[in-house]
Amino acid sequence: MTHVVTDNCRGCRYTDCVASCPVACFHVNEVRVYIDPAVCIDCSACIPACPVHAIFEEFDLADDQQHWIRINAEAAQRYPVIRTRLAPLDGADARRQQLGL
Amino acid sequence: MSTHSSETLVVRGACPQDCPDTCAFLYHVEDGRLVEVTGDPDHPMTRGGLCVKLKNFAEHHYNPDRLLYPMKRVGPKGSGMFERISWDEALATIKSRWTDIIAEYGTQAIMPHAYLGHQGTLNGLTAGDAFFNRLGSTVAEKTYCESGSSTAWIMTVGPTGGMDVESLAVSKYIIVWGMNMLNTNLHGWPFVLKAKAAGAKIVVIDPVRTRTAKQADWHIRIRPGTDAALALGMMNVIISEDLYDHDYVEKYTLGFDQLKARAEEFPPERVSEITGIPVVDILTLAREYAGTQRSAIRQGVAVERSPGGGDAVRAITCLPALTGAWRYPGGGTIEMPIWEFPFKFDFMCRPDWIPPGTRVINELELGAALTGAMPLDPPIKSLFVYNSNPVSQAPGAGTIVEGLQREDLFMVCSELFITDTAKYADILLPATMQAEQLDIMVTWGHLYMHLNQPAIAPPGECVPNVELFRRLAKTMGFTDEHWDLDDWDMLRRCYDWDAPVMKGITLEALKEKGWMRLDVGLPDERTPHATGDFRTPSGKCEFASSLAAGGNFVVPVWRSGYEAMQPGTSVDPVPNYIPSVETMLPDGASAFPINLVSPKPHAFLNTQYANEPTQQRRQGEQIIVIHPMDAGPRSIEQGSYVRVFNERGAFEARAEVSEDVSPGLMMTNVGHWPGLNRSGTAVNSTTSTRHCNLGQAGTYSDNRVDVQRV
Repeated sequence: MTHVVTDNCRGCRYTDCVASCPVACFHVNEVRVYIDPAVCIDCSACIPACPVHAIFEEFDLADDQQHWIRINAEAAQRYPVIRTRLAPLDGADARRQQLGL
Repeated sequence: MSTHSSETLVVRGACPQDCPDTCAFLYHVEDGRLVEVTGDPDHPMTRGGLCVKLKNFAEHHYNPDRLLYPMKRVGPKGSGMFERISWDEALATIKSRWTDIIAEYGTQAIMPHAYLGHQGTLNGLTAGDAFFNRLGSTVAEKTYCESGSSTAWIMTVGPTGGMDVESLAVSKYIIVWGMNMLNTNLHGWPFVLKAKAAGAKIVVIDPVRTRTAKQADWHIRIRPGTDAALALGMMNVIISEDLYDHDYVEKYTLGFDQLKARAEEFPPERVSEITGIPVVDILTLAREYAGTQRSAIRQGVAVERSPGGGDAVRAITCLPALTGAWRYPGGGTIEMPIWEFPFKFDFMCRPDWIPPGTRVINELELGAALTGAMPLDPPIKSLFVYNSNPVSQAPGAGTIVEGLQREDLFMVCSELFITDTAKYADILLPATMQAEQLDIMVTWGHLYMHLNQPAIAPPGECVPNVELFRRLAKTMGFTDEHWDLDDWDMLRRCYDWDAPVMKGITLEALKEKGWMRLDVGLPDERTPHATGDFRTPSGKCEFASSLAAGGNFVVPVWRSGYEAMQPGTSVDPVPNYIPSVETMLPDGASAFPINLVSPKPHAFLNTQYANEPTQQRRQGEQIIVIHPMDAGPRSIEQGSYVRVFNERGAFEARAEVSEDVSPGLMMTNVGHWPGLNRSGTAVNSTTSTRHCNLGQAGTYSDNRVDVQRV
């Protein structure tokens, strides 16, 4: 069991999720964040925090989104932990509008 | 919150569960229906998030299996065949059966059985105490959890709240000792992370490489039940290397010379043999702990779950007085701050109503009490179960089931669902859930008072426990004023609202704000024992306990306020290492070579929510974690189904082969409903009913088993 960050995060990286996470399970790179499944404790606090609805509990993922489980697990090993909120990426609001959110 | 319409009514509440976090709830209600329960974003602990266990809490209220009406048994005991009856018929049946039992056997033939299925002031641990004390029933000693730690804590530092979990944020060295905080004290973890970000070292002492251990800077694997030896070994190093705070010890502790003599018996080499921890690690831990000020120890309940568990808690609780850690904010130890709250237990429990000479039966010995293995005169002829599920949660489950099948046992059970215990009842009574009742929540993990206000009407004919006992009292003809008080009157009388810690806190203010902090100082400044002020008879931290002279005792809150008929067995004034009975058997001395520990599950709260399909998906089925060296010779592979067994019983589980446990150690979780498991049994079919050396707590971690592939 874990939660995963899906494609909506890419190019936005609002990181409100990070502030809501009690266990610091988010990892970050230049364009988005990922969740470490070994650390996530399934509390779902991050889900409503995300302005672009990028985060899902593993078993709520649609069939065509299942690959994000593996991507999050692998990327979490590669990128550093993020503990505090960052400014959103330039263009985040535009992407959010593009996503219709 | 934003997802709901402006028609949404938001009502403040608080989590009912037996957990140190006691979260502040916001109930979201639309057209009289509870649509969502969220965490209060303004609460310093809750921080807007609940936990995996509570994720479907709103839906839980509408679970179609809920018990909504009184029922009577219409099939054989345990068949689960029940028929709806009225409250009047249920109460009349209880009165009639109890009247007959009392006439023939006396009132002590009736025994209540309760624990912390609900953690409210009105509806929780002590909800039925006044009623059963008035009735003159056997006093039930409720020692499922924490009782050993409570006795140990009070013997050492007295009924003080100790350190505030929020103060961990300013600690520089944190030892999490016997607790998987990420599973069971989640809302305390952000303070640990804050300390870590500021440079603190996080050490986890746990036999299992838990989620929490994986997040620590240092995980020390300890053999279960040997915590006292480690604490005494640390003292050995701290004293022999002169790392202790002489001034603090001299001014604010009692019995240093005796403690020093005891610690001398535990050189690191001996401690290493006992605990399985390398000598170098014992030395490093002791030196770092004593050498880093603002050091904190977060004690978990796991420490008490072995035969020497009480003394282990005493020994650990001595450490911050030895090093003077109490001098600093973020220094000291956290066990259970519940003692800071000004409860009026005498009002809640009415121990003055207990007839002199009334006997005490420990709840963990329920099976023996019901089957005759424990000689009793009079025998138990009626059992009244509420807020508890002994078939799943008490040790020795097999014997309990045998006892509950007795045709002559009149059993009443107040419940939310027909659990593995409730199915043996003769009369079932429907209880409310948290959104349907008023209460002030008791908390044992932080320093806030919470008022839980009802957000929706109870379904069917469910009643809160407080109302259940009012009805029973009237049915039994009790005319005391106590039974005429409404919930608000009771809340006013359950607390000393004039106590200094309650400054500014009123029921009216709680109605508006939902929660308020006790006036005990701020987390980053608070030093409750910087200059002693321990609540022991001497006012000092008692390395040599003056209360030991009275022998072993259970703190009265765990036994309906009753002071008499304590176990009274001899207690060493100075904490010692008391070896486990089963775990420490030498290789080959037991037919059962593996030690099994059974901590709490991730997605259930004990057995609660374990009947919710969504939570079952999150938790997964009953598993055991087994080391490859134990799995290999038994042909057990990842995912194999296995049978775990000993002379007491057996259960089946799916194997996870992992080095998260050591060779010779397996882990499983308590809380899966036996009836929903493959074998119809769960881990407590294998556990023993021995007690920990203090407070009559259980010894769930001292459990030898074997395992085979099925």
